[in-house]
Amino acid sequence: MSVISKLFKARELSVFLFLIAYLLLVGIVNPSILYGESLSSLLNNSVILILLALGQCYVLLTGEIDVSVGSIMGLSAVACGSLLLAGIPVLVMTPLVLLCGMLVGLINGLGVTLLRIPSIIMTLGTLGTIRGIMLTITDGKWIEDIPHAYKQLASVKLMGINIVVWISVLLLLGAHFFLMRTRYGRYFYAVGDNPGGAHLLGIPVKRMKLAAFVVSGGTSALAGLCFVMNIGFVPNQTGSGLELSAIAAAVLGGVSLAGGLGTALGAGIGAIFLTLISSSLVFLKIEAYWNNAISGLLLLIIVISDNQLQKWGEKKRAHDHAAQLASARPEFPGAKLQQNQNRGASS
Amino acid sequence: MTIKKAVIRWEFALLLMLFAEIIVFGLFNSDFFDFFSIVYSLNDVVYIGLAAIPMTYVIITGGIDVSIGSIMGLSSISVGVMWSSGTDIWLAVLLALVVGMAAGAVNGALVAFTGVQPLVVTLGTMFLFSGIALVISGGSNAQGYEGISGFPDSFVQLANGSLLGLPNPVLIFIVAGAAFGVLLHTTRYGRNVYLVGINAKTARYSGLPTRWLIMSTYLLCGLGASISGIVLSSYFSSARSDLGSESVLPVITAVVLGGTSITGGKGTVFGTAVASLFIGLMQYGLQMIDMSSQQTSIVIGSVLIITVAFRQLPWHRFRSGHASRAKASS
Repeated sequence: MSVISKLFKARELSVFLFLIAYLLLVGIVNPSILYGESLSSLLNNSVILILLALGQCYVLLTGEIDVSVGSIMGLSAVACGSLLLAGIPVLVMTPLVLLCGMLVGLINGLGVTLLRIPSIIMTLGTLGTIRGIMLTITDGKWIEDIPHAYKQLASVKLMGINIVVWISVLLLLGAHFFLMRTRYGRYFYAVGDNPGGAHLLGIPVKRMKLAAFVVSGGTSALAGLCFVMNIGFVPNQTGSGLELSAIAAAVLGGVSLAGGLGTALGAGIGAIFLTLISSSLVFLKIEAYWNNAISGLLLLIIVISDNQLQKWGEKKRAHDHAAQLASARPEFPGAKLQQNQNRGASS
Repeated sequence: MTIKKAVIRWEFALLLMLFAEIIVFGLFNSDFFDFFSIVYSLNDVVYIGLAAIPMTYVIITGGIDVSIGSIMGLSSISVGVMWSSGTDIWLAVLLALVVGMAAGAVNGALVAFTGVQPLVVTLGTMFLFSGIALVISGGSNAQGYEGISGFPDSFVQLANGSLLGLPNPVLIFIVAGAAFGVLLHTTRYGRNVYLVGINAKTARYSGLPTRWLIMSTYLLCGLGASISGIVLSSYFSSARSDLGSESVLPVITAVVLGGTSITGGKGTVFGTAVASLFIGLMQYGLQMIDMSSQQTSIVIGSVLIITVAFRQLPWHRFRSGHASRAKASS
């Protein structure tokens, strides 16, 4: 197999190269984006999206989707803010908020596995419900006057990089290792790739899906905590619209919505890439209102060209196989797609 | 046949829910028993139904379109910019409808001809279209979110006037519902849309142009979003690029609540229309009994989950029995 077709398989690598290329391209126009300061602020700005995309990655791997992450993040930010204002110490507040996020994730997961509601509908329902609860708690007002000590945490640095960035990057690498190298991690892929087969192998399909939603709820809560730390107040639209950005980031990083395909690292790189696109506009001296148009166009170009290249690669591989081994059954392109369609129809 | 029966039963249940809703709210506030009070209250929510009805087509084919909110904004700002640069207002409306259809056609072409999942494609175009709308409005000095206003009275009357005692938006809703309903349920084209959703392979093997069919549903969806965006601009008599940006989720909620299966192949325009009214009246009614709009969204989200869970239960038993039989025979 040639190096190129291997590259196509390692999707996170090709996105990473794409990211570097884009960075260099912007660097040609305005070298200041390559300074350490700009790069570390890029990482800083990506933290929330990295966390959301990481959780989303687990859910997408199992073949489900979670559109409620923005609301969970908002609710967690509100919980964080109100607990802090009530004088609860950070060490008690943090686990409480994380539990709250995971609880919502658990509800999502139970709806999907126990009640068999399609995940997009279930999480659409919780999206509205949770946002409503959040706004009821705050009465539509902003939470301000977050204690200074908590905001200070955002500027604690370790080797020149914010501690929050360290935590999220370590979480990302840990999740990547867990998903790629451990037995339970592989279960997530098996469940998404072929739920029937996974079930027959004795993998607890429903429990894995439940776990994925709980993880997603937990990372969303973490994103909410980071938000309050960085921003210092909680506007009432906190997190709204981020669910779609999180999905876009994961997809950009090579996570397939069909399940069973993609890596946590890829999702994280996708999140950094999306953030890079929007922050690069300042360096390119393009007005901010171009942000969405450029992000959308790049997302479409990358995803569609990747899809076409994969198809081409698979066709080529199948062709090579057929030529080499007449007895071997060639993998025909689109097999995965059809399988997924069948699965969609039967679930 | 059983599928069709179940759908009919679901819409019947939905109608009953609608009546029950009116009666319950009527007990709190007798205004709810006044026909015209209800009809005028619908003005605020008709735009969701206008976008949801053609969305039904897309979801029946097994797709989804999350870019409609952006298309609404794009159409709205197109009308505004074209009008403020001297185009006749009705020509501008016509051209904005074309813009909406073109946006839908882009969605459809990408979904049908690349094989990338609809959610991914429309997620990309959601950013793209809302970005283009922002660029247009920024480029024409309609500063940020302020928008363009000062439309001629004839355009404002489009959504604020009334005919035969019925407010115009409700009339537009009825006409659009009837047109899309007839197209889906009585024509060959409509049957083909269902077949693509039930089994795309069968549809292709029986010689249907499945890709063009899929593309056409997104085009119609773009048209619907465009109509909705224009009605909304007329209603507020202001064209903004972010108009309708929050409407994606209520629209999908209306379609799903109306009995359309998110996996495709099943659903009716009537169900979507009734569900839109149900959601609309729910919002209005809850506000009348002094609930804040945030509490309303708790109720609507819960209603969505509960109804779908309720509908899902007996269905699964039927489906799983079916699936295990299929497995045993293979």
